Amino acid sequence: MPSITSFNLAHLHLLLNHVPTVGAIVALGLLIVAFIRRDEPLKLVGLEVLFAIAVLTLPAYMTGVAAFQKLRDQPGISEAAIRLHQDVALFGFTWMEFAGFVGWVALWQARRRGRAATGMVAVATALTIVAVVVMAQAANLGGDIRHPEIRTDRSAGAAAATVDPEQFAASKISYIMVNSSWAWPASETVHFLGLSLTFGVLLAVNLRILGVMKQIPFADVHRLLPWGMLGFGANLITGMLFFVGQPKQYLDSAPFYWKVVFLMIAGANFLYLTVFRKAWAPRDNALYGEWDASLADKTMAIVSLFSWLAVLYGGRMLPFIGHAF
Amino acid sequence: MGLLVWLESLPLSVWVHESPSVWAQPTVLTLHTMGMGVLVGASWVLDLRLLGINRNVPLSAFRWVFPAVTVGLIVNLITGILLFVGRATTWGLAIPFFIKMAFVIASAATLMPLRSYVLHSDPQQTEVGGNARLLAIASILTWAGAITAGRLLAYLVP
Repeated sequence: MPSITSFNLAHLHLLLNHVPTVGAIVALGLLIVAFIRRDEPLKLVGLEVLFAIAVLTLPAYMTGVAAFQKLRDQPGISEAAIRLHQDVALFGFTWMEFAGFVGWVALWQARRRGRAATGMVAVATALTIVAVVVMAQAANLGGDIRHPEIRTDRSAGAAAATVDPEQFAASKISYIMVNSSWAWPASETVHFLGLSLTFGVLLAVNLRILGVMKQIPFADVHRLLPWGMLGFGANLITGMLFFVGQPKQYLDSAPFYWKVVFLMIAGANFLYLTVFRKAWAPRDNALYGEWDASLADKTMAIVSLFSWLAVLYGGRMLPFIGHAF
Repeated sequence: MGLLVWLESLPLSVWVHESPSVWAQPTVLTLHTMGMGVLVGASWVLDLRLLGINRNVPLSAFRWVFPAVTVGLIVNLITGILLFVGRATTWGLAIPFFIKMAFVIASAATLMPLRSYVLHSDPQQTEVGGNARLLAIASILTWAGAITAGRLLAYLVP
């Protein structure tokens, strides 16, 4: 295993921190052009990019917290400026995930109906606009931390202020997660329920690709995907509560690093399962129900199941491998 | 109590509970969680179908659920016994543990009639009887109860 130090993750943050802002602007541009040209395939491309960016925003946020831990005690660095950046980034992350979620629903509907529902794409576009605005602010405040030449009055004011953790959302969440007697156990319980639902749905979909229940059309297992998304959404929310609650537990942890890596693979796989065409032969095709996957698709199904098990393994092993809780 | 003490003193029990090896408690616990994902996940997918999701899909398409559930049950029975004997004197006297076991047994009990219902359904049958729906609701709730109780054991029985 590679040595996972805060320095490496902080370095990774420099690479990833432009992805949410620039990526969301690209997705937004594609969606707007698609609306103007009434170009249905381009809409789908825009939604796919939006979903991918929403997935990548997760490591962008998390590596930022690693950079914070590395930087906070250095001279010339304002902890308040970092905390302000972190808070706005957390809001940006939240909007980004909302946008990605609605975008995913639009993609799922489009695969079933042949075209995306205009209203759903419009909502995804509107949410992306909000995410871009908030993310741009977060990016700007992030730049202020190391670049005094671009500081504005607002960030200079924040930089001068003494640190009062009470004023920051991330600190408030952390306080509740750590001090409440029920918040952490309740979130864990929801996390386990969510993992079972997601795993069950992906088991069904991937087993169909691997050749189980060949008599039913792929469209029927595709219908289960929103239930998998429901479980995943519950786990994204509760997982972020853990991470924001006790970030230091996770940042130096090798199993957590691998968990996020496999989560990215699982996210790419989920997008593929949502939009891929091969299984969606025309309804009058006699082979429709008996569709048999290619070797490549079967390999992907195995990789998908393995990735989810690896995500689970990384999470469950957190207290035991590397930095113990 | 004598039995519990004896169970806990077995070399295997001591190994599971005391060994610093990652293959002892950590791996057993992780396999227990993976088994849970397969067992509960596959059960819930069937329950959703019985409650009307994908109502046009024949019940016979869900026969795969039972081999999957069996694998999950076997893994969790073995890992569950290992986790139990490792701390037999604690678990054997803890009320929250018995509550969890009650949920697990109730959930497993719903699987038996559901299994014969699905396996004996007509290959093209899509309609679901009222009793099967009730069993599906019971299955969803009892598995959720088992997971909740299981997770809270870490807090209620330190």
